[in-house]
Amino acid sequence: MTQAVEANAVGKRYGALVALDDLSFAAEQGEILGVLGPNGAGKTTAIRILTTILEPTHGSFSVAGVPHTRPAEIRRRTGVLPESAGYPERQTAEEYLRYQGRLFGRSRAAARTAAAALLEEVGLADRGRTLIGTYSRGMRQRLGIARALVNEPQVVVLDEPTLGLDPAGQRQMLGIIRRIAGERGATVLLCTHLLAEVEETCTRVLILNRGRVVAQGTVAEVARQAAAPRTVTIRVPAEDAERARASLSPLEVVLSGGTLRVQLDGAEPNEPLRRLVDGGIEVRSYELEAARLSDAFLAMTEAAT
Amino acid sequence: MRSAGVVLGQELRDLWLGGRALALTFAFSLLLSLLAYLVATNRALNFLEQRETVNLTLQVAVAVGALLTLLTAADMVSGERERGTLESLLLTPASRLEIVAGKLLASLSLWVAAFAITIAYVWFLGRGVGIAGDALVSGIVVGTLLAIFLASVGILISLFATSNRVSLSLSLFFLLALFVPTQLPSGATSGWAGDFLLRVNPLTAGEHYIGRIVVDGRGWSEDVTWLTSPLIAAPLFAVLALAVGGRRLSLRGGASE
Repeated sequence: MTQAVEANAVGKRYGALVALDDLSFAAEQGEILGVLGPNGAGKTTAIRILTTILEPTHGSFSVAGVPHTRPAEIRRRTGVLPESAGYPERQTAEEYLRYQGRLFGRSRAAARTAAAALLEEVGLADRGRTLIGTYSRGMRQRLGIARALVNEPQVVVLDEPTLGLDPAGQRQMLGIIRRIAGERGATVLLCTHLLAEVEETCTRVLILNRGRVVAQGTVAEVARQAAAPRTVTIRVPAEDAERARASLSPLEVVLSGGTLRVQLDGAEPNEPLRRLVDGGIEVRSYELEAARLSDAFLAMTEAAT
Repeated sequence: MRSAGVVLGQELRDLWLGGRALALTFAFSLLLSLLAYLVATNRALNFLEQRETVNLTLQVAVAVGALLTLLTAADMVSGERERGTLESLLLTPASRLEIVAGKLLASLSLWVAAFAITIAYVWFLGRGVGIAGDALVSGIVVGTLLAIFLASVGILISLFATSNRVSLSLSLFFLLALFVPTQLPSGATSGWAGDFLLRVNPLTAGEHYIGRIVVDGRGWSEDVTWLTSPLIAAPLFAVLALAVGGRRLSLRGGASE
């Protein structure tokens, strides 16, 4: 696989303040990489460095095979939706996209054609000639996505694309993001606070905390790596259920027929099993609930604070 | 510099079709109309010799035209920062130098429009004494130099200002500071120090040169030394604005990135 984005020990300091410390990761072509982290973790700094808005204090990176020493070439191959993107209120979406297309070197005619196609792609074709000032938050976010695609980028960076959107808008946005990776073959770096959308959309995740990478890998890998399972579901013969509950005390147990749902509360995952076996109770099944990304995220970011 | 042309085109559309520049030039033409009406009808002002009437109108037009250019330039970077639209510009392959060049040229359009409006007033007030032509030529030369100088200063302030309000306030303060020598009593500007003060200040030197041509009827080359500071300041500050902007145009104002 080709490395679409590669960062090696990239860092950014503002005097004594370390905004980003030794960021190293790689993203493959066509994958959706979730970039997670609490506020102030360094996500936006990382994005601004990778998109050449900021210069790193140290380290090196490449985007779409272009080294960071050629920022204009990187910008030519990258599409970005910034977190706090503003839009010219008195322009129409079509005019705005035409202008952006021209800045990426397109001719007037090509910029016009691209603008129309992109408005169609993000579902704004019928509002393309309306002033952006009248747009809702969701429409502005979709326009931002269209702007990010105006140069047919190989790498797309989206900073909080679902911020402020209602659930339907979020779902629509995630669909667009999947299409960017699936149909266009672009690599997507998705920065977000919504862990559910990362679990649903991203192939891999990168968790930042206080300017450092604290975990990276697939969603399942990161979840396993950082967080132990919280509950276990055990099936025993119905006549032994009460005895089983007593032997598991003081763990919190919800009993339903012969099924016990046990909150581990920090106990070893196999502790309930050991107690039941020691008590001579037949265990018909024993299922640990898989750890979730949110557990891993909290474990990693809280452990570091 | 192709992208500079694209930025220039967009900035001109924003300024003129967006209505901001139209409103400013409308206010400018109202001011000139009022001034022309007063000098033509008011007893005290009507007492002025016709050449002085033309000179007064032209000097006001140059000063206010330059003010409009300065304020427009002062909004170019800091205003875009506050509206959140600068980042999308910086994310394009257009170089910072091209972006700043496009914005600098667009802000000069205010001076072009202001001078176009001034032509009619100067022609009307100067008819019959044969000075309208000389007045207009001296006005466009001096006004263009001052507009380039002040637009460059406006861009420089805008690059470093931490907010748009700060940028506009500092720019206005700078222009008022340039006008200070014109408010000094005549005795204070009569010696060599006063002469130096007037000559080193591009605004007062330029306006003085216009006065020599229009009121005193001097030839173009007789007092050309008064054009020294505008001739130095305009290209110097333009190059400075482009050089600094090419390196320091960033999402944050202030001294550091």
